[in-house]
Amino acid sequence: MSTDVRAATSTIGVCWKWVDVEGDPRRAGVSAADQAALETAFSIAASLDAGTDSSTEITVVALGPVAAEQALRGALAAGAHRAIRIDASAHLPSDRVAAALADALDRVDLVVCGDYSADRGSGSVPAFLAAELDAAQALGLIQISVDGRVTAEGAPVVRALRRLDGGRREQLTVTPPAVLSVEGSVATLRRASLPAELLAKQAAIAVLPGPSAAEQHADTIRPFRPRPRVVPAPVGAGALDRIRALTEAGATVSHGETVTLDPPEAAARILAALREWGYLEP
Amino acid sequence: MLLERGPFAGSKNMYGGVVYPRILDQFHPNWWEEVPIQRWITRRSTMVLTATQAMTVDFRTQAWGEPPYNGATAYRPDFDHWLAGKAEADGAVLVTSTTALGLLRDEAGRIAGVRTDRPDGDIHADVVIACDGVNSFLAKEADLFGPGQTEAGNYTVGVKETIALPKDVIDERFGVRDREGVDIEILGGTGGVNGGGFLYTNLDTLAVGVVLKLPALGAQPRRPEEIIADLKAHAAIAPLVEGGTIVEYSAHLIPEAGRSMMPRLTTDGMLVAGDAAAMCLAAGIWLEGVNFAMASGIYAGEAAADALRAGDTSAAGLAGYERRLGDTFVLRDHEKLRRAPGLVLSDRVQHHYPQMIANVVERVFRVENPRPKPGFRRIVREERKRAGIGLRDLARDAWAGIRSFG
Ligand SMILES: Cc1cc2nc3c(=O)[nH]c(=O)nc-3n(C[C@H](O)[C@H](O)[C@H](O)COP(=O)(O)OP(=O)(O)OC[C@H]3O[C@@H](n4cnc5c(N)ncnc54)[C@H](O)[C@@H]3O)c2cc1C
Repeated sequence: MSTDVRAATSTIGVCWKWVDVEGDPRRAGVSAADQAALETAFSIAASLDAGTDSSTEITVVALGPVAAEQALRGALAAGAHRAIRIDASAHLPSDRVAAALADALDRVDLVVCGDYSADRGSGSVPAFLAAELDAAQALGLIQISVDGRVTAEGAPVVRALRRLDGGRREQLTVTPPAVLSVEGSVATLRRASLPAELLAKQAAIAVLPGPSAAEQHADTIRPFRPRPRVVPAPVGAGALDRIRALTEAGATVSHGETVTLDPPEAAARILAALREWGYLEP
Repeated sequence: MLLERGPFAGSKNMYGGVVYPRILDQFHPNWWEEVPIQRWITRRSTMVLTATQAMTVDFRTQAWGEPPYNGATAYRPDFDHWLAGKAEADGAVLVTSTTALGLLRDEAGRIAGVRTDRPDGDIHADVVIACDGVNSFLAKEADLFGPGQTEAGNYTVGVKETIALPKDVIDERFGVRDREGVDIEILGGTGGVNGGGFLYTNLDTLAVGVVLKLPALGAQPRRPEEIIADLKAHAAIAPLVEGGTIVEYSAHLIPEAGRSMMPRLTTDGMLVAGDAAAMCLAAGIWLEGVNFAMASGIYAGEAAADALRAGDTSAAGLAGYERRLGDTFVLRDHEKLRRAPGLVLSDRVQHHYPQMIANVVERVFRVENPRPKPGFRRIVREERKRAGIGLRDLARDAWAGIRSFG
């Protein structure tokens, strides 16, 4: 699948989550991670294009109301080639957002996202997006470089470093189609030149229809909360025993368990654990 | 093109808290229907404080609470953002997060634009209007200040705490309703440092601060926030502010010396406006700068447009600016009040008169039966002597006061 021959000019997609704070445009914007994603796309494009006469294009997509275009203009000013706004409420659940983004990016082989947004920051959209695009995913990256090889579609194979718990790192080689998400520390978005800043004020922003109003409001918006965990009534003869049982005081409880499994088995084990703990429906 | 170094207009601006926007009547009739203000000032108090006394002259009028209004408390990030939006709607291009680093000059050495901190950031312009605030680097680079004009003695530092309190508590403590607000200007209460204090009501915060003469502040060991803390602890102020939470602390320089520190306002290809031109009016019972900044900005814009139309942006071509300033309150108020800052910040007005006035009032209203009431003239004479004020000084200050404020 990887070849050494550089094919047609490719596009890198960048997804931005535009967040407005209490409807105030002065405090609206995107996260440092989203900005780092765009800068990462620039540097991937630069390494890809170095010494060739092709030019990798960068498309930035954000989902939100007209006000989100201000952020997209910032992306254009910094050097993105195309900006797309998906006309929808910025408060959709992650899977809907990902589905809408996937429609806009269906012919893009490499997508870079920030791994947290400026509000909730659960970092789930990139994973949903990878699923929608049937692409590989490498999330929470702290370093990205291109490996030199490109796919038949001209998308670069990427070498990435991922943060793991306990200060450990995981090195990945990611072959497109892929969705990457980066931490904010990966790169600082370049400052737009003054002429670019002025041009971007007038630039056209493509607008795609988002999920229909009915779909948008299918879910009521509520605070993010894990599901309640059902705890059986404590057993014990006296109040003290019941309190002991309830608080697990004196019991030897294992806190965490280390398992070594292949990814599919690991995923199954995680789901099983989540079900056991009451976070997912059995 | 409107350059702003902050991320949005108003993000970097700081002041005490009262704007007087009537200058906008001509451009945006009924501006009061949309201006984002906190409260309309309907009560204005001037308070004289000594360590243990307070005398307040309190004025209230409902007329200031209805169109066309008078002053209003407003947050600068709201007000300036709104005003910049007006400029944009009228065709200005606002470029934020962009700092002017210095002036560009043509081969003849004439000012021809500014250099900004963005890549490829030179802006070539026939006219530059420097309204970059107190400490204007552009006006300094253009060498428009005369000797001694930017000495520390011409500046005060204003420091302010914003204190959150529920709206109904503020309404009750200050005796106001709905959008009515209070402006209290304070003489004394600055821990012996020449200056003054202020207390303004926003909707659900108070602005409490002091304005301190720089050399006097530097000559004593206490920090401005300690001076504010003492002001807040004063018996006359504490009940107004207690129980609140400090949500913001800020500080900013004020060009205090008025007309005498104003730079040359026009040079080939450049005009200076607002605090950059020291147009802030800081004369004791008045602390106005935003209206002067707005007006001078308007007149600079008009003069620049005239000069561009006429194809002459030399100092002569831009002369319409100073003509407009001279015809209106901008320079007239400053001319008239040119002695006021010096008088208000003088040691006698700062330290001796407040003590004398407070003592006089304390004695006039003290009932010491069986002693009969003393004569008013005698009390004044005794208290004047006790405060160490010579008759000649009193006469001189009274005359200076009449000439500045009369
Ligand atoms: C404590 C205090 C209380 C005050 N109280 C009042 C009051 O109650 N009422 C009143 O009317 N006035 C008050 N003033 C005075 C008032 O704040 C000023 O007179 C007024 O802000 C002047 O406006 P300006 O636009 O000239 O300057 P500023 O408000 O200082 O604005 C200058 C602007 O230029 C921008 N800037 C500066 N340098 C650059 C650069 N190099 N490149 C790009 N942008 C730049 C800044 O970011 C800023 O937005 C008070 C001042 C202080 C300090």
